Amino acid sequence: MNQDALKDLLYKMADDLLILGHRNSEWTGFGPLLEEDIAFSSMAQDKVGQSYALYQLLHSLGERQPDTVAFTRNANQFHNCQLVELPNMEYDFSLIRHFLFDTADALRWEMLTQSSYELLAQLAKKIKGELRYHTLHANTWVKQLGSATEESIARLQTSLEIALPYSLGIFEESVFEREIITTGIFGGENELKKRWLSKIEEVIAQTQLHIPELKLITPVIGGRIGQHSEHLQPLLDEMSEVFRIDPSAEW
Amino acid sequence: MQSLDPRVKRLPQLGATNAKQALDQFGTYEVFVESKAGKPFQHEGSIHAPNLEMAYVLAKETFTRRFTCTSIYVVNTGNVFTSPTTEGNQSVYELVTANAASSEKKVFEIYHLIKRGKQHVHVGNVEAGTPEAALTIAKNLFGEGKIVYNVWAIEQSKIRFTSAEEKDLWNTLPEKKFRDASDYKGGDKLKNFLEKTRN
Repeated sequence: MNQDALKDLLYKMADDLLILGHRNSEWTGFGPLLEEDIAFSSMAQDKVGQSYALYQLLHSLGERQPDTVAFTRNANQFHNCQLVELPNMEYDFSLIRHFLFDTADALRWEMLTQSSYELLAQLAKKIKGELRYHTLHANTWVKQLGSATEESIARLQTSLEIALPYSLGIFEESVFEREIITTGIFGGENELKKRWLSKIEEVIAQTQLHIPELKLITPVIGGRIGQHSEHLQPLLDEMSEVFRIDPSAEW
Repeated sequence: MQSLDPRVKRLPQLGATNAKQALDQFGTYEVFVESKAGKPFQHEGSIHAPNLEMAYVLAKETFTRRFTCTSIYVVNTGNVFTSPTTEGNQSVYELVTANAASSEKKVFEIYHLIKRGKQHVHVGNVEAGTPEAALTIAKNLFGEGKIVYNVWAIEQSKIRFTSAEEKDLWNTLPEKKFRDASDYKGGDKLKNFLEKTRN
């Protein structure tokens, strides 16, 4: 098994989850409803926890400690897609991003239950219930607000159109794509994108929203090779602020 | 009434009848939790939501983000039929009188309050035409020889249950000890710190 190919996959997944987990946690205390504030914060914790599990796998493959990897890299060393680093904006955007990303994430992990890398397959099976909740939550909200009032529909539609070019960047292929598929580690970004599209179409069809013609959209890529928007570095600075005060502290 | 005091301005005008303000909040849903497989579901509280499915989604994290649990369900508060409440040595079932049998049969889940200040606990279900008739049957099935202060009857078809495939929603919960304040062992850390500074 090519370790570089495997590490590339693990890093992009872990970085996606850490950055989005952190972004979503910025809603804690500001959620639109008490109950939603709690639910969204819990899912943010789940994502950070999932990223931790992946950084631990990377550590077992010779990478540095999870905390070191999470808190001491600069933006250009992160492999997350740009979708997850964008600011939260208003809740409609955060919700649409949650829907678009988590649908892809759940399908990715579902494919990984068959991975030839046994430890990843085990992790995929273990967190299945968490992912089930994340997609149930996202789908229920999108169906609710996507057919509720003129304002809610318009807001979700606008956010959907802003988020779509970035969400296509989730599926940016790596140089190891062929290798990762032929070794049976993961079925590949193209296959994932196909499944993702059919799933989001299925949910959006139950609302008054519509998906614009994807062929006319230019995906925002580069995140997987360390090219990011101006929003990532300030997030990293804030996230690692406490860690940098005393890197040897035990929490 | 003329006044510069906003509190006075907010007073209703004397003699005028004002239409009741429309609710500016969501309706409420009741949440029941099964803490362990085989243990009865217990009422844990209520939640605001725009509909039954949203109530389920929001109840899951609001009520079961910390303590281990195997299943939850929710129902619109309006679908909870409540009996009168008794006190002391009187069981509420003493107030229940026979009801005419009806040909239409629905399943009602039955819940007992056996100690004031505690929560309602599920005891079983019965088939009846109305919630009142359900209480008559529940009296014979579940009410013998004990004091029950209050009974709820909820039509089963109105409940949003956890499906069999959703049982994995709580699989990783036992590992999330970081959600409990006790996991941070703040007391121990403080004690160690004080001892260190004293020496």
